[in-house]
Order: sequence, then structure tokens, then C-alpha cells
Amino acid sequence: MNKKILLVLILIAATAAFFLFPSDEKKIRNNLDSLAEYCSSASKETAIAALKKVALAGKLCSDPCMIQIESFDIHRDFKKKELTDHILMMKKMLPDTHFTFHDTTINFPLDNRAELTTTLRLTGKIDTDRFTEAYELSITADKIDGDWLFSSFSVVEFMEQ
Amino acid sequence: MEFSDKIRRFFFPSLNRRYLSRLIFLGLSCYLIFSYLLIPLRIQGHSMEPTYGNGSFAFCWRPHYLFSQIERFDVVTVRFTGKNVMLLKRVIALPGEVLEFRQGILYINGKQILEPYVQYRTPWDLAPRKVKPGHVYVVGDNRGTLMSRHRFGQVNMARIIGGVIP
Repeated sequence: MNKKILLVLILIAATAAFFLFPSDEKKIRNNLDSLAEYCSSASKETAIAALKKVALAGKLCSDPCMIQIESFDIHRDFKKKELTDHILMMKKMLPDTHFTFHDTTINFPLDNRAELTTTLRLTGKIDTDRFTEAYELSITADKIDGDWLFSSFSVVEFMEQ
Repeated sequence: MEFSDKIRRFFFPSLNRRYLSRLIFLGLSCYLIFSYLLIPLRIQGHSMEPTYGNGSFAFCWRPHYLFSQIERFDVVTVRFTGKNVMLLKRVIALPGEVLEFRQGILYINGKQILEPYVQYRTPWDLAPRKVKPGHVYVVGDNRGTLMSRHRFGQVNMARIIGGVIP
């Protein structure tokens, strides 16, 4: 009986430790999910709610943050203010749009650096037309003062016309 | 045994060890088959219309190209970083071939190619280009959209996950 109780206690402790002290990989995955949630827009999102979400999205990124999108000829560092302004503008242009990340793999080339590859899927509505888009992203995250912050995003263009 | 008993036992079998092991075997088989061999696809978007409409359903048969080569007009799935989100496209040109579009008509190595699966056509114009070794050129069947809004091009064959059924 005592052994059973001990086993249950160990299981409870292990489960609590898993949730209370997540691994670096789990922290990064949580940040990615949060970023997707903050960049998504509900159909009737108020301006205040949008501003709050954009500010939270900005907190997940380093300052500056490098963005590379070859097809738009963008390859430079964005200051946090500039980045959040762009996210806000995108939310206004694409109301009722949901961001989700799929098939994410994370590697740690250095102790304080993580390299992610993931698929960003956008679903939403423009006027009355529904749309679905997907992009392959290569993301870098750096551990700064104990927090994992995204320091670069680049769109992988694997289809060449 | 009465007929009604048989029916009752068929729909509500007793949870014995034999039944549970069969249930676990069935669950595992389904997981392995539908995760790694025959991946269900829910099609979202209009790029493959009319062959595959928005909201339709198909399967990606992964072993399709284990023992055969990719051929022109095959419909294939192209992966991003995994197999949860994929593109569905048709192969129109093979490695080393030169393709071009003139007024929406496909030309391969200078010869006009008939594409009976294309129902919606706009006058796409694309200058001749050669497909790199190890790559294939893929495009959707719906050419009714502007070329700039359609996602197509040459992709590395390593990105092709499999063929499509049906």
C-alpha cells in the first residue's frame, strides 16, 4: 500500500514539475503559440484589444528583429515600434484572420540560441471570400535575460518560378 | 444462440481481453496507415479546381513514388516543413525540360501541350525556363486566377510527399 502511495506521489510530482518547470523547447513552443494568438484577429476585435495583443506580440520579439521576405525584397532589422506598427497594420488589413504554426522543429546550435523551422498557416476572410495561405518560416530565438525572444523571421521560398 | 443475441453481441461485445487486444490492434493499424501511408487531405483553396474543389477530400498515397518515377500530369503533394500542411499541385514539366506559357497555353520544349484538366484559363504569359536537375515544375489546374496570385514553380523532388488518391 505504501509503495502505491509513493508511486502516485512521484507521478504527481513529475507532472507538477513538467508543468511548473517547462523545458526550453516547451517555452519556445508556448511563445510561438502565443505569437500566433496575438497576431490573429477576431471578426469584431476592438481597437483596444488589437493594441493590447500587438503589444504582447512585440514583447515576444527582440529589439531589433530581423525580417527577411525575398519576394517582397525585405531583408533588414526592424525596431520593436516599427514591427508592432506593421503587425497592427496587418491586423487592420486582414480582420478575421487566424494564424497557426504547424510541423515545428527546434534545434539548439548554442546554449542561448534556438533555430526553428515551421509552417505558418493563415486562414481568414476578405470581404466574403475565404482564403488559406501557407508559408515555410525559418525563425531564430535567443535567450535574453532568461526569456526566449524571437530575433529573426525569414520566409523560405522553396518554389521558384 | 438467438439472432437477437448475435446482433446484441455484435454491437455491444463484452469487454474481454481478446476484444480489447483487437481494438488496440485496430487503433494502432489505423494510426500507422493514416499517419504514414495514406494521409487524409482536406483541400482548402481553389488552385486545383475543377479537379479538386475547395472543401473536397482526398488521400496522399506516400509509397506512390517508391517504385515509380514522377510523370507529367501527376497530381502530387508538396510539403512545407511537415505533412500537416501541404500544397496540392500538378506536375507539368520534368527535369531538363524547357517550359513556357503563351496566352495561357503550355509549351514544353517548344511544343504545345494539351491540358484537358484545365477548364478555367486566362492568358498567362511566362518566358521559357529550364527545369533544374532534381526538380519538377508544378502548377494548379485553376488558371482562371491572375498569374501573380497563383502559387507555382519548380520544386525539389525531395519535397514531394506522394501521389494523390483519387
